[in-house]
Amino acid sequence: MSDTNPERAGGATGVDPRALAQTIVFSGVTVVRDGRTALDRVSIGFEEARIGIVGLNGSGKSTLLKCIIGLVKPSAGSVSVDGRDAVGEARAIRRATGFLFQDPDNQIVFPVVGEDLGFGLKNHGYSRAETADRVEAALTRLAIRHLASRRIHELSGGEKQLVALAGVLALAPKTVLFDEPTAHLDLKNRNRLRDVLQALPEQAIVVSHDLELVADFPRVVMIEAGRIVRDGPADEVLDHYREANR
Amino acid sequence: MIASLARPGSSPLHRLAAAPKLAGLAITATALFFVDDPRLLATAFALGLTVARSTGAHFAEIGRDLAGAAMALAVLGLADWLLVDGATALAVVLRLGAIALLAHAVTMTTTTAELFEVLERLFGPAERLGLIDAGRAALTLTLAIRFVPLIVEEAQAIREAQAARGLDGSVLALAVPLLVRVIVRSEAVADAIDARGFPPERAATAPPRPPAIRPEIEADTP
Repeated sequence: MSDTNPERAGGATGVDPRALAQTIVFSGVTVVRDGRTALDRVSIGFEEARIGIVGLNGSGKSTLLKCIIGLVKPSAGSVSVDGRDAVGEARAIRRATGFLFQDPDNQIVFPVVGEDLGFGLKNHGYSRAETADRVEAALTRLAIRHLASRRIHELSGGEKQLVALAGVLALAPKTVLFDEPTAHLDLKNRNRLRDVLQALPEQAIVVSHDLELVADFPRVVMIEAGRIVRDGPADEVLDHYREANR
Repeated sequence: MIASLARPGSSPLHRLAAAPKLAGLAITATALFFVDDPRLLATAFALGLTVARSTGAHFAEIGRDLAGAAMALAVLGLADWLLVDGATALAVVLRLGAIALLAHAVTMTTTTAELFEVLERLFGPAERLGLIDAGRAALTLTLAIRFVPLIVEEAQAIREAQAARGLDGSVLALAVPLLVRVIVRSEAVADAIDARGFPPERAATAPPRPPAIRPEIEADTP
């Protein structure tokens, strides 16, 4: 049922991200919500270990990310993850694909750190003993074990973001989707999250306005009005993005 | 502040499972409403104090946690004393005080996760009758505990922003933006809960459930 490999569950280092990467394919995806086209006939594939997505507010970045785990259903076209349909097999995809939301307060459901980490594991059918082990491993991996008994509302924004990430990593996903993960963080916590992101063995797809965060990624995609307008190495795409939005 | 008062510890109450603690509290609280003898009620109050102290919390800590309840009890007692008589006021204060102390002891020794599991089991029969979804009902109560401090913070932020713009004391001016923020947040929270795999996998083999509280976001057809 679960991946009990201690390296995967408890803090792998030196694991080749390409070994974990899933193949995500958008085929002619259009999303129309409330009469507005959020994504417009998007066809693109992702299989790199690190992919950045940039674009202005309302350009469709978050919608693209949510389509991957079936949180948003396309009006036309389809999304698949390792050959599984994102809508029909959303549960299986969510097992292997974590999602870190912009505001950790929206993601954290239980009032105490350790309890919250157990929530996702319980949903995916892990036993109590395995849940306890995985919670411990995830907290240790992000060096926040000391927060295990703390109440969420007493934590700083950076600590909350790390707790939310620990909740995602506890499930040992192959891919983590980051939706503007540094938007609520101060510089110190932003740098901490960047370091964590760099060290992750998991595949990461990062939507961000923080261009430095994705600057060393092998691939960055730029979205404008629901369409992919640039796709390539980070320096090339980010230069164009900066130029286009002077 | 609600936000889970549970504190780590190894007292007998900490070791006791959540279900018998909650059942004991419910039975004792109900029984106390049939007791009028002030000596028995005083004994129950003393017992409540002892149980609360047995969790490892100091009297000062208990006093701090229950300050709000004590204020409400004082007002209630005063009203009973003025409108009925002193004996009734004493009985009401002792009875509700004992219940508050016992409830505090249970709260301090029961984590939200344990409470969630008990509630799920408690709602089980209603689910089998097709009346509610036990998991969702338990999660709703858990979310209430989790988000009360956050909503209080948001209310304070709105108040401060309004005060900075010279608007003070208007309940409506606070309620409208707060409601909007809560609705917007609830959408995001629902997405996050879905992304974290709720409802649990056992749902696949469970009997048919009532319709979801919040269906998946369906995009419009172009």
